[in-house]
Amino acid sequence: MNDRYSNPYVIGVILGLILLFSFYTMGRGLGSSASFARIATAGVKLVAPEHAKANAYFSKYIKGKRSPLIAWLVFLTIGAALGGLFSAFISNRIKGEVARGPSISVSIRLWLALGGGILSGFAARLARGCTSGQALTGAAELAFGSWVFMFCIFAGAYATAYFFRKEWL
Amino acid sequence: MGPLYKFGWFDHAYSLQLAGLIGFMFGFVLERAGFGNPRKLTAIFYLRDFAVLKVMFTAIIVCMLGLLYFFFFGWIDLGRVYLLPTFIWPQIVGGLVLGIGFVMGGYCPTTSVVATVSGKLDGLIFIIGMMLGSVLFAEIFPFLKGFYTSGNMGKIRLTDVFNINSGIIAFLVCLMAVGAYWFVEKVEQKFGDKDTLPKGSPKVKRTAAGLLILLGLILAVVNPDRIIAKPAIPAIKPEKQVERVQKPSATSETPDSIGFKIVDDEGC
Repeated sequence: MNDRYSNPYVIGVILGLILLFSFYTMGRGLGSSASFARIATAGVKLVAPEHAKANAYFSKYIKGKRSPLIAWLVFLTIGAALGGLFSAFISNRIKGEVARGPSISVSIRLWLALGGGILSGFAARLARGCTSGQALTGAAELAFGSWVFMFCIFAGAYATAYFFRKEWL
Repeated sequence: MGPLYKFGWFDHAYSLQLAGLIGFMFGFVLERAGFGNPRKLTAIFYLRDFAVLKVMFTAIIVCMLGLLYFFFFGWIDLGRVYLLPTFIWPQIVGGLVLGIGFVMGGYCPTTSVVATVSGKLDGLIFIIGMMLGSVLFAEIFPFLKGFYTSGNMGKIRLTDVFNINSGIIAFLVCLMAVGAYWFVEKVEQKFGDKDTLPKGSPKVKRTAAGLLILLGLILAVVNPDRIIAKPAIPAIKPEKQVERVQKPSATSETPDSIGFKIVDDEGC
């Protein structure tokens, strides 16, 4: 396993150029959390189509006959999965495991991952975006709410990091 | 002139292919940076490794400078770039909760995708959690609707809030970033593991910092905003109607109705 990662400043410059390319070509930035909301919507629609249509929030993803999955961000996320896979493959970093600190059990780690996922999915909908769609994209445009949002992410994480130290350290 | 899509250079089908390409590059660089590893990601919250902040801040600054320079040279119409509206209260609460979710789950939404494809089961569980969280949000949305639309400030930028032109804001952001890089590297040296931290020559870092400040300073001097402000000047008649003279404000795009309406989730 190769733990040598690239220099973060170099990665930052390249990521900034990718984001700029997205703005220049599409007039919008990156994002990913909405694609999970769309996948979830597609699932609900499959099980209970009437319920999905009646819901004020799900229904925004269901327009006309088009599947909620035919969306720009869904394709972006599929691309991100392939890009991540390619990078992990060429660096020999693909390994089935549960990533965690040395002093936590697998089952507790997985429960915490589930809990963190639920909080993140909920919060991303509430804030109209996640770290990439709201903080990264919006901050580059100097959007006021995005800057506030970004500092709030750090505030929330630093304030509670102490309680999860056994999970990581 | 950009954004190309908004000027009809290509159709929706092609834009989806482009999304795949942009996503591929996005996922690739995130994995390169080690962001498929939750211990690397959360190390920032234990002051050991600030890669998350360095990547994020650098990307924001490069893109911000790029957008402003492109605008200044007339290569992009910023009016046609989707600007995220500010709903301050849900964004504050959402940010705090997302931060807790980050340190608890070990990922943010995109990095969990990268983790999952590199074989991490916890990444997949995190994704399932995100979907459950989205469903939960939608199910209780009728109760949250009021809060979700509270604190609506429209599509405002830092320039509107502080009433400073964007060139100077860009310069201040550059200065802040250089200060932040210097500070977090000091902290890393104290708490971090010196073997795994990236090495870089001080000379290159000083040159890059200097370049960043210079690029910001040029923007502060040339003031890209005057391109927008220019047409408004001849309209001012100084002899009368002084009280009616008002500068064009970006906040004028207030929502068209109080009722709930989402145009398209162009944000995230």
